[in-house]
Amino acid sequence: MAIVKLERTPARAAPLTERSVIGWMHKHLFSSALNSILTVITLYIIFITVRNLWAWGIADAVWIAESRRECFDINIGGACWAGVLAWMDNIIYGRYPREELWRLNLGLVLLAVWMAPLWLPRVKAKILIGLTVVFLYPFIAGYLFAGGDKGIFMQIMVTAAIVCLACNTVHSIIGVSGGVGLREFLIQRLGIKGSSENKQRSILLSILGLSFMAVFAWQKSWNPVGVPWTQWGGLFLTLLIAGVGIASALPGGIILALGRRSRLPVIRVLSTAFIELFRSVPLITVLFMATAMFPLFMPEGMVLNKLVQVMIAVCLFNACYMAETVRGGLQTIPKGQFEGAHTIGLGYWRTMGLIVMPQALKHMIPNIVGNFIGLLKDTTLVSIIGLFDILGMLRAVSVDITWRGLHTEPLIFGATLFFLICFVMSKYSRRLEQKLSTDHKH
Amino acid sequence: MTNSDSRETLEAREKLASAASSEVIIELEKVNKWYADFHVLKDIDLTVHKGERIVVCGPSGSGKSTLIRCINRLEEHQTGSIVVDGITLNKNLKNIDHIRTEVGMVFQSFNLFPHLSILENLTLGPIWTRHMPKAEARETAMMYLERVKIPEQADKFPGQLSGGQQQRVAIARSLCMSPKIMLFDEPTSALDPEMIKEVLDVMVELAETGMTMIVVTHEMGFAKTIADRVIFMDEGDVVEENEPNEFFTNPQHERTQLFLSQIL
Repeated sequence: MAIVKLERTPARAAPLTERSVIGWMHKHLFSSALNSILTVITLYIIFITVRNLWAWGIADAVWIAESRRECFDINIGGACWAGVLAWMDNIIYGRYPREELWRLNLGLVLLAVWMAPLWLPRVKAKILIGLTVVFLYPFIAGYLFAGGDKGIFMQIMVTAAIVCLACNTVHSIIGVSGGVGLREFLIQRLGIKGSSENKQRSILLSILGLSFMAVFAWQKSWNPVGVPWTQWGGLFLTLLIAGVGIASALPGGIILALGRRSRLPVIRVLSTAFIELFRSVPLITVLFMATAMFPLFMPEGMVLNKLVQVMIAVCLFNACYMAETVRGGLQTIPKGQFEGAHTIGLGYWRTMGLIVMPQALKHMIPNIVGNFIGLLKDTTLVSIIGLFDILGMLRAVSVDITWRGLHTEPLIFGATLFFLICFVMSKYSRRLEQKLSTDHKH
Repeated sequence: MTNSDSRETLEAREKLASAASSEVIIELEKVNKWYADFHVLKDIDLTVHKGERIVVCGPSGSGKSTLIRCINRLEEHQTGSIVVDGITLNKNLKNIDHIRTEVGMVFQSFNLFPHLSILENLTLGPIWTRHMPKAEARETAMMYLERVKIPEQADKFPGQLSGGQQQRVAIARSLCMSPKIMLFDEPTSALDPEMIKEVLDVMVELAETGMTMIVVTHEMGFAKTIADRVIFMDEGDVVEENEPNEFFTNPQHERTQLFLSQIL
């Protein structure tokens, strides 16, 4: 005899223990006697810690004082934040001349303006904008920070950067409001829509050329005072080294990873050797090598400054770590993707650039950001070889005569700052990951 | 096989008069291939004429997939010669890229690009290797999506489609390159039973257009419908080669007989 169920069973709500707060607590915190005891003990420890921290850091803390002695006089049991506040400029900008600080701030603002379009909707050509950030921004930023005389090459690059930034910004504003690119916008406005492609191109190029000349003429008169790198320091220096490292580690890592997977034995062996060499040596050793030994290999008379040497070392070191991350990501891409790409006639570079890398990078986001966070923290090692980055500055507070012996507060401040920066990065990577994975369900 | 089934096959067969011409488009001569020490293809000789439809069957590990993968050089053969559309396959990379644009391939596992929409999957090849203007590529893509009957899925991503739909997209992706030859590597083996028919229907329609096709498949009904020639492979050898009616009703070799008795 057949058994037939004629009515559909309707879906019912889950039992209360699965969806109420009390149910959750019962399940996760007080499921047995032992677990209940552990929960209570843990809560007590958390309570004590938070209470003491609160009392020391906030309730009893001294915010306004002239010296450490005065802090003690006001409240000896509390933190002396006054010292950190007094040193705040040093911690952030190092010993950069105070009247020139606007240059550092301007550099930061320019970076923000330049990169903002990457997050704006409806702006086209984001990859191009991203590339200009990596390849042109360093020139204008470098010149802003260092100042002094600029050679003809630097003049051209600075001009190119300014023109490019202007184009980017106008392009993005038009994009956000109208959803078209700068090119189409200009063609419409100039009324040359009907003209031939060649004519359009030559008109647009001449506009670009003219603006280039104008900016070039203007920047000649712009001559900020030179600030030697020895005066750079604080959070600015840390972010600078980390920023350069981050911007170069990913492209460098991709190249090394592809090299390591190459079919050509020479390239494969060289890449592998390079990666393994740098990965098996601690960063601090690489830094010492870079500052002490690198000059020996340079041609006679050529002197690189220590900061540049450090940056090169950090870039190479992190490119090698990134290479292994990228290689891991590449291995998650099934062979079928390569074959699918080959059957529609894509060669090696197009297969990599259009098919493999976009997918692999998406898988790698958590690891890449993890690398970036590690890189940011690792840069504090440069304080050991005599650069006054943020850690150097934080430790310098305690040898200031007025604040002699003030160790704890600056370091806690620094730790909090690092935590905030890294936490934001990690949160952002989570969001990015979720966004990309929901965009393309698979 | 029931009567009505065979009648259907016969009717379809009548519509599908052979499109084979005398022009040779693929020629394999004494092709040998080894995976390390394992001899996968043994002295394979095969001539395919333009418009011919060939079904390759055989037990797994017999080298049938390897054979068609050699034709667009996803695998390298070691000795012998393969000439496709007048071009000899050798180490010359330019030749290989050219051959690959002329030879479409459909895989068992679809191999669509999951990070691109269906339309982008289809237009990628024409835009990047044929340098077709974007608008034209999109038009062509939509035309082929109509032909495989899923134009409404154009803006979705591969992961949102059923297996049968994905395989039809994969066929359309190959067709967008306007290939001269289509290779199918077990196109229905990874599909749920109810989706096999929709893919086979598309392939039969493709056969009606006179496309040169080499199909590795276990769908014997399909082989009877479209094949001009059935090739049976076992352990790297082409054991038997015949026109389908004869092949299925009167197999000569005992290994063919054994194979057919097991799958029919």
